[in-house]
Amino acid sequence: MSDPDTETSVAGAPAPRGALDISIEFSLNGEKQNCRIDSNAVLLDVLRENLGCRGVRGSCERGVCGACTVLVDDVPVASCSTFAFAVDGASVETVEGLAAADGTLSPQQRAFAECGGYQCGFCTSGMLMLTTGLLRREPRPDRGTIRDWISSNTCRCTGYEMIMESVERAAELTAAQDGDRV
Amino acid sequence: MTTVSDRSITRSPRTEARNDVVDDRVANGGYRIQELPTAPPQHRLVGRDGPRADATAKVTGKAVYGADIVRPGMLHAKVLRSPHAHARIVSIDISAARALTGVTAIVTQDEIAGLQCYGTMVKDQPVVATGVVRYVGDVVAGVAAVDERTALAALDLIRVEYEVLPAVFTVDEALADSAPVIHPDEPFGVIPKYGQGASASLRSEPNVSYEFRYSTGSSDVWDTCDHVFEDAFHFSRMNHMHLEPFVTVAEASADEIEVWTSTQAPFNLRKELSRVFGLPENRIRVHVPLIGGGFGAKNGPKADPVAIRLSQLSGGRAVRFCMTTEEVFLTVSQHAATLIVKSGVRADGTFIARRSTVLLNGGAYAEHSPAVAEKAGYRMPGAYRWQHIDSVCKVVTTNTVPAGAFRGFGGTQATWASERQVDLIADRLGLDPYELRVRNLKALGEEFVPGESGIDSDLVAGMRVVADAIGYHQRARTGNRGMGVSVGVKDGGGINKPAMARVKVTTRGDVLLNCALTEMGQGGHSAMAQLVAEVLRCDPARVAYARIDTDNTPFDQGTNASSGVAVMGQAVRTAAENLRDQVLDWAGAQLAVEPAGLALVDWHVHTPDGAVHDLFPMIMEVFGNTGFEFSADGFYKARNDRRAPLEAPCVFWEIGWAAAEVEVDPETGRITVLQLAVSGDAGKVINKIACRGQDEGAAVFGLGQALFEELRYGPDGELLNAEALLYRVPLAEDVPERFVSITQEQGHGAGPFGSKGMGEGGMLPVASAIAQAVADAVGAQITELPLSPQRVYEAIAAREAGVSR
Ligand code: FES
Ligand code: FES
Repeated sequence: MSDPDTETSVAGAPAPRGALDISIEFSLNGEKQNCRIDSNAVLLDVLRENLGCRGVRGSCERGVCGACTVLVDDVPVASCSTFAFAVDGASVETVEGLAAADGTLSPQQRAFAECGGYQCGFCTSGMLMLTTGLLRREPRPDRGTIRDWISSNTCRCTGYEMIMESVERAAELTAAQDGDRV
Repeated sequence: MTTVSDRSITRSPRTEARNDVVDDRVANGGYRIQELPTAPPQHRLVGRDGPRADATAKVTGKAVYGADIVRPGMLHAKVLRSPHAHARIVSIDISAARALTGVTAIVTQDEIAGLQCYGTMVKDQPVVATGVVRYVGDVVAGVAAVDERTALAALDLIRVEYEVLPAVFTVDEALADSAPVIHPDEPFGVIPKYGQGASASLRSEPNVSYEFRYSTGSSDVWDTCDHVFEDAFHFSRMNHMHLEPFVTVAEASADEIEVWTSTQAPFNLRKELSRVFGLPENRIRVHVPLIGGGFGAKNGPKADPVAIRLSQLSGGRAVRFCMTTEEVFLTVSQHAATLIVKSGVRADGTFIARRSTVLLNGGAYAEHSPAVAEKAGYRMPGAYRWQHIDSVCKVVTTNTVPAGAFRGFGGTQATWASERQVDLIADRLGLDPYELRVRNLKALGEEFVPGESGIDSDLVAGMRVVADAIGYHQRARTGNRGMGVSVGVKDGGGINKPAMARVKVTTRGDVLLNCALTEMGQGGHSAMAQLVAEVLRCDPARVAYARIDTDNTPFDQGTNASSGVAVMGQAVRTAAENLRDQVLDWAGAQLAVEPAGLALVDWHVHTPDGAVHDLFPMIMEVFGNTGFEFSADGFYKARNDRRAPLEAPCVFWEIGWAAAEVEVDPETGRITVLQLAVSGDAGKVINKIACRGQDEGAAVFGLGQALFEELRYGPDGELLNAEALLYRVPLAEDVPERFVSITQEQGHGAGPFGSKGMGEGGMLPVASAIAQAVADAVGAQITELPLSPQRVYEAIAAREAGVSR
């Protein structure tokens, strides 16, 4: 992860025709970032290439599969289909920000590991961010709500059942962590 | 429970209708492991219920896939693809593209002189199109540049002049007398050594690249049949849609190649690259990081040849070629198929003889098609006993995306037709489709065909498991609801497939497992680590899986055919046992006791008198600061046998059972799957999470194929839905609310501790079970996939109009 207040830019890439070189400032996993980017750069590329968040995955790159999901001000968005300038001033969270600094996994991460909510793991970063967003909004979602939310992302490996169980388990672990034993 | 046939009757609420008839052990859906009486009781394998070994890496985003590989000074490649299905390349002008700043190399037909074509058994695919393009998407040129944007800009500057040729898209068009010949020059091809009853030929017809035949028993038995039924079935074409695209980073010179690539078969790739580029295999090094899904697509070269050639042309700089999802669609697909099945039966439903012709749409290049054809043809008898079998499968070349290995590997096509016809026969003879199956299923241990290994699952027991899970036998015939069951079998473990493994242990007892089983999501690395831990009696977390590269990793034929646990697992187990024996021999010598009575537990040696010796100080005593490692190898291969039709008897039989309940809306043709129960036989569960994931993932693949997944072509051979938005794969909302998966432990597997491979079996029976449930619900027997609302609606309308099949 880069230092706060350092500027980074895409190395070697000539600016595409018509694109402006602009500066944005946002918080990434709680750290302030200043970036010089092309005005038409997408958030996925800026996160992966400029800021080293390789845990954010790209697949369809057109807002369908959700592999690239990150949280922007608590809302899950497809980073492949979000212009980077749109996060100016916002708070962005990626899979890299889920675990505590000492490596302790978040309840979502623990639940996915425990319940096998992944196989190849390529959809997992996105599923985890989606789940984190869901549980912030609805700490005790029912199966139907989980199904609706998870249906925005594609997983080609698991058949989804174990992902849905992981989310149920994540809700339990989150509640336990927050001392809110329902 | 009342039995009613009146469709207008008001239906009871869904849950109520279901719960009182289903197996109460799974009344709420979900998952269970069901041990059959024959399950091996002894080993409760270490780590069996725990998380997989790759859990932390994958949930923290730290897992490294092919798509994440970065090399110093790395260039990026993009390719220009043909807009025509079939055309002669008149000229290619790359001068403007060459002149663009940032472009380091361009590859066209002029830059691949001396390179060979690639493919499995039939080698007909050039590195870039040479003289002719054969499908929309065929690679015409590749560019390497400082970044993808520049490479794309360069592609825009390449001028290609084409002369359009007549094209063929379906098997019927390609087999017509007037059809253009897609490969006028006969490509290089090889036929494996088949055993009794099996044979194959290359190019038996102008647009047939490979033809497999299998026959057994006497054709005289047709005379003893009371009924002979002939039916045609159609199987649609899916995309693999693995989330990580095809990606390669290559560093190559004229005499050395190194690639980091998303491949399921590193050694096969090395061999193929050696042929294509004319280099000895020991000058080629293939590294395999984690794989973001493969499902068969990542067998054989994909992004590799172009990236390698561009690196050679760029002075050896690293070139990364990462395809987009759209390009993945244009690289490989499943095989669409037309299957004609003729079966002879007795009046009481006893199966006697079956003749089948399978025509696979192989696309423009052979790819993995010959191997798929062999399996599709071989698997047409299904799970049943026949006195006579006569099977032909042809790979038909067309001007469409090449078709290749795909989860189920020809077995899905065969199961669709074979199982569908069983239901049609039951319907015509007025027999219960479940009973008809039971009457004809092979018994446990019965040879699949003469010279083949025996079926290693109790097929009837497995069918009962899924039928009970949905309450099949107690079903109420209400409304437009119906149920179906199905079973698919495939030979698993690959043919003639050697696997090697090595286990090393440091002085402190830290274990390193070295074998080329690739981790593409199936949990193979966890399972292998658990096998080692079981033998060495240590915590699986103590076993690290060494990174895979062909220079250092022992040889393996590839991670496919569900061979991981059963084939590689045996090599790994043997390596671990050899290591354990070596350690005990050494410890016995140090302690001056017979090694035979010693046990190794968590890097301590237990002697018969109950004493426990810590190995670390013992080793230090001898080797001191010089350090030491124990190391041992393991090897496994099913023995060849001339009697076996496919060179060697199959290692294990991979079986999938499914039962489905559907409700059909006759106004719209829409199917709602109310219940789906799937089951595979793991023999013995090594890793519970992985077994469950394999069967559930496969079942949902099958569900997509059954209901909506299909690649569609336009009139000029262009794929109409070749991208994630238009090509719909199952989402969480598509999974039936009552989805039950059951892993059976029958215990007859050839793998370690009685285990068998999984991952493909669960896909086989799903579409046919759903199709039969539709027939059971509304009487419409559909023979074509997917079961789209339109197709279902038309079938109902045809049935009501009295058009009999
Ligand atoms: S990569 Fe962003 S939605 Fe698919
Ligand atoms: S785990 Fe492979 S795509 Fe979800």
